[in-house]
Amino acid sequence: MAHRKVNVDQYADEDIFVDENQTAQGSTAVSAQTEADVDARAGEVRNYLSRGDTPAAVIKALENPPAGREVTAVKDKNTATVMSALAAARSTDILAIVKSLDSKQTDVLMKYIYRGMASPELYNAAVLLAWHEKTVEVAGLGSIVRVLTDRRTV
Amino acid sequence: MPGVTTDSRSFCSQSNTLRPYLAAVRSTMTASLCLTNFSSQVVERHNKPEIEARATPEVLLNPVLISRNESERVLIEPSINSVRVSIAIKQADEIERVLCHKFTRFLMMRAENFYVLRRVPMSGYDISFLVTHVHAETMYKHKLVDFLIQFMEDVDREISEMKLSLNARARIVAESFLQQF
Repeated sequence: MAHRKVNVDQYADEDIFVDENQTAQGSTAVSAQTEADVDARAGEVRNYLSRGDTPAAVIKALENPPAGREVTAVKDKNTATVMSALAAARSTDILAIVKSLDSKQTDVLMKYIYRGMASPELYNAAVLLAWHEKTVEVAGLGSIVRVLTDRRTV
Repeated sequence: MPGVTTDSRSFCSQSNTLRPYLAAVRSTMTASLCLTNFSSQVVERHNKPEIEARATPEVLLNPVLISRNESERVLIEPSINSVRVSIAIKQADEIERVLCHKFTRFLMMRAENFYVLRRVPMSGYDISFLVTHVHAETMYKHKLVDFLIQFMEDVDREISEMKLSLNARARIVAESFLQQF
C-alpha cells in the first residue's frame, strides 16, 4: 500500500501544485518598499485618528494590504494599523463607513476582520463582530467566500 | 428541582455579544457549505473528506477563526468536499470544565446518531463537526447551519444548568449530613 502515499504529481511538471504565495510578484512579494509603505500608512492612519476622522482612517488602512508570502512581522504591523482604525469607530458609524467602501475594499476589510478575530487575546472581538455583521449586511456572503478562497492572506 | 432557576440576568448581559457572534458563525457556515462531490486525486476510486485527508493542498481553503472572547471560539476549516467546524465551549471554572468534558464525551460516543459529529475533537477545541458533501446533499443546508447554531446556544445553557443543579444538590447533601451533629 506504500505506493498510495506517493505524490505522483511531483514527477510531472505541469501537474504540480504551486502555492501562489510562493510565486507572488509585485506588491505581494517581500521587499523593503512594502515595509516602508506599511510604516508610512500606519503614520497616516494615526494622523487621521488623532483628527477624529475615522472613515478616512479606515479607508487609508485598507489600502494596498501586504499579502501572500510577506514576512509575518509586516503583516502583523499592518493588521495592528487596521485594527486601531476599526476600534476607533463608534458602533453607530460602522454601517455608514462600510457602505462608503467599494467591493474591493470590503473584501480587504473582511479579510482583516477574520484576521483580527483569529487573535482574540490582542484585539477586541466584540468590536470585530459588530464590523462583521455590518459588512455581511452590505457585501453579502460573497465577501466571506472570497476570504475563504483567496490565497493572498493578509 | 430546587435551584434550577437559571440566572436570566447573566444571559441578558451576554446576549449583546452572543447575537453577533452567532450571526457571524451562521454567515460563515453558510458561505463555507458550498460543497461538491470530489474523488480523491491521489488514490483511484477513493472519495474521502479532503479536509481530513489533506492529500491535495489545492482543494483546501483558508481556515477562519471566529471568536467571542479568548475562551469561546469556533474554527471553520473549509475544503472542496467537506467542512470541519470545531467549537471551544466556555469553561469558567473547574466544575464547568468537568461538566463540559463529560457532556461532549457523552455526545461523541454516540457520534453516528448525529451524522455530522466527529468522534474526536480537534486539539484545543471541545467538540468538532465534519460536514461532507453527502450531508449537504441529503439534508437541507439551512437546517444544518441551524443545527450547529442551536447546538452552540444550547450547550452553554445546558452546562450552566447542570452546574446550578450540581451546586444545589451539593448544598442539600451537605445540609443533611451536618444535621446529625
